[in-house]
Amino acid sequence: MINDLPAVMASELPATNGNSASNNNGESNFTVKTGLARMLKGGVIMDVVNAEQARIAEEAGAVAVMALERVPADIRANGGVARMSDPKMIRDIMATVTIPVMAKARIGHFVECQILEAIGVDYIDESEVLTPADHAHHVEKHSFSVPFVCGCRNLGEALRRISEGAAMIRTKGEAGTGDVVEAVRHMRTVNADIARARNMDDAELRVYAKDLQAPYELLKETAKLGRLPVVNFAAGGVATPADAALMMQLGCDGVFVGSGIFKSGDAAKRAKAIVQAVTHFKDPKILAAVSEDLGEAMVGINCMSMEPEQKMQGRGW
Amino acid sequence: MGSISEAPDVTVGVLALQGAFSEHLQLLRQAEQVLAVTTPVPRRKWVFLEVRTEAELALCDALVIPGGESTAISLVAERSNMLDPLRDFVKQARKPTWGTCAGLILLAESANRTKKGGQELIGGLDVRVNRNHFGRQTESFQANLDLDFLKKSDGGSNAPFRAIFIRAPVVERLLPHMPGVQEGEAETEETVIAPSRSTDQSFISTIQGAEVEVMAILPGRTATLSKEAKEKLDSEAGDIVAVRQANVFGTSFHPELTGDPRIHTWWLEQVVDAVEKRRALA
Repeated sequence: MINDLPAVMASELPATNGNSASNNNGESNFTVKTGLARMLKGGVIMDVVNAEQARIAEEAGAVAVMALERVPADIRANGGVARMSDPKMIRDIMATVTIPVMAKARIGHFVECQILEAIGVDYIDESEVLTPADHAHHVEKHSFSVPFVCGCRNLGEALRRISEGAAMIRTKGEAGTGDVVEAVRHMRTVNADIARARNMDDAELRVYAKDLQAPYELLKETAKLGRLPVVNFAAGGVATPADAALMMQLGCDGVFVGSGIFKSGDAAKRAKAIVQAVTHFKDPKILAAVSEDLGEAMVGINCMSMEPEQKMQGRGW
Repeated sequence: MGSISEAPDVTVGVLALQGAFSEHLQLLRQAEQVLAVTTPVPRRKWVFLEVRTEAELALCDALVIPGGESTAISLVAERSNMLDPLRDFVKQARKPTWGTCAGLILLAESANRTKKGGQELIGGLDVRVNRNHFGRQTESFQANLDLDFLKKSDGGSNAPFRAIFIRAPVVERLLPHMPGVQEGEAETEETVIAPSRSTDQSFISTIQGAEVEVMAILPGRTATLSKEAKEKLDSEAGDIVAVRQANVFGTSFHPELTGDPRIHTWWLEQVVDAVEKRRALA
């Protein structure tokens, strides 16, 4: 079975890769920004809404926590405008755990990003889970000293974000649903887009870059590597250890779990199981063992039954 | 086959529970190519493998513990029943082991600023490390280091090594080597220690360096420390960022992110030396 892994398994990320995306802004700090993302590989980043949940995540073996006021499932249920979290809440979490703390800013809201940088968060997620603040522009991320992670549904979107300065990418999936189908769709789309690029010569790549609305140089680098030029995690709908291992076998470098943990019956146990599943993602025996007796998974929403306007993934461009 | 110009295989594992293990594997392969040119005879077959289980660890002559989140690696190791096999590998057998960043923390006998409730350590280096010494990610940086230990194998180029520090720890104190656990450290507040293992006596004659040796210092960064912390430092010259003791090597920075294979090449030479001495005795 392990020999039947999909042919889309990504090759490894070269150790010094990513510098071409740098704007050569003094010290090559893109190396330091992408470096932290590399340290998170093979790990699970968990959404938490308070210090107590952050401790549960840390004890479960999370490599980082994402501090936010409401998990995506609640943002979805409550409606209204979703914004950056209260800095005090983020500070509380930073004071409570020793692992990196990430926080979300609205798409295009560069002042929320300035505030998060001033607090000292370790990574900013410019996220479609919050309500976008700009109808057209994403944040120019190179000038910040704090690194950014951004979502994507396909290769063009990923490369646009990297070109703006994102040091890490996550496939968007559909946050707050507990349905992994969109995460799989986005990862498979990125992989298929890269597979097409691999077989192209330079002239074809220039046309493809135009079609994808992506910078030619980054596309060329991606085609040569056979994978995204920065670390890429899966997100949006991962609810079980099997979901997490599925995304890893599809070639992701790690996994974000949002509502999937703290909207389930036994958060601590499920969190630990997902961490083990990401390390041992190729070993079905271990996956079987950690999947046992986890209690209720989050109830979830079937993505196939959602209207397009109910989906968050279309935010950002 | 059987030719005198072929040396026995050496298997080097990279702990792959979490973190930047693939970068280490790439740099080890680069270092292998350097060695194939600089020491073409005897030709040696290197095997590099990812280690996630006790069975995989048992195949290894030497091990790299990569950067990552030390709490996550430690918890996953515990739940994957890897902590005791790792302690036996590093401290009892004293097979060559190198830890970078999170790996250095795990190889320390004592660590502070750990998560609430502490964390499990493997141990092997009689030092106390201070986690996240320089602060959060926005304090991460790069700096040039002069590494004397590279000069011999470097053909005298003396080029500084570009070191990358990411939420990096430093060695804040060298501890005396003692039988059993670091008792003094056990009494220090908010400090965790590693459980003890006695070294396998059958190979003790092949192992050099009973005390900790400082291998690299980062000059001029002590300015980031509080006055009290500065007074506690053993070295006035700067922060200790690389140490070695009896086959165990630790760096607080990330040579695996540089594309510069000099430290990996040097370390593989140390591995060959240790493995050959051990095999001669066996």
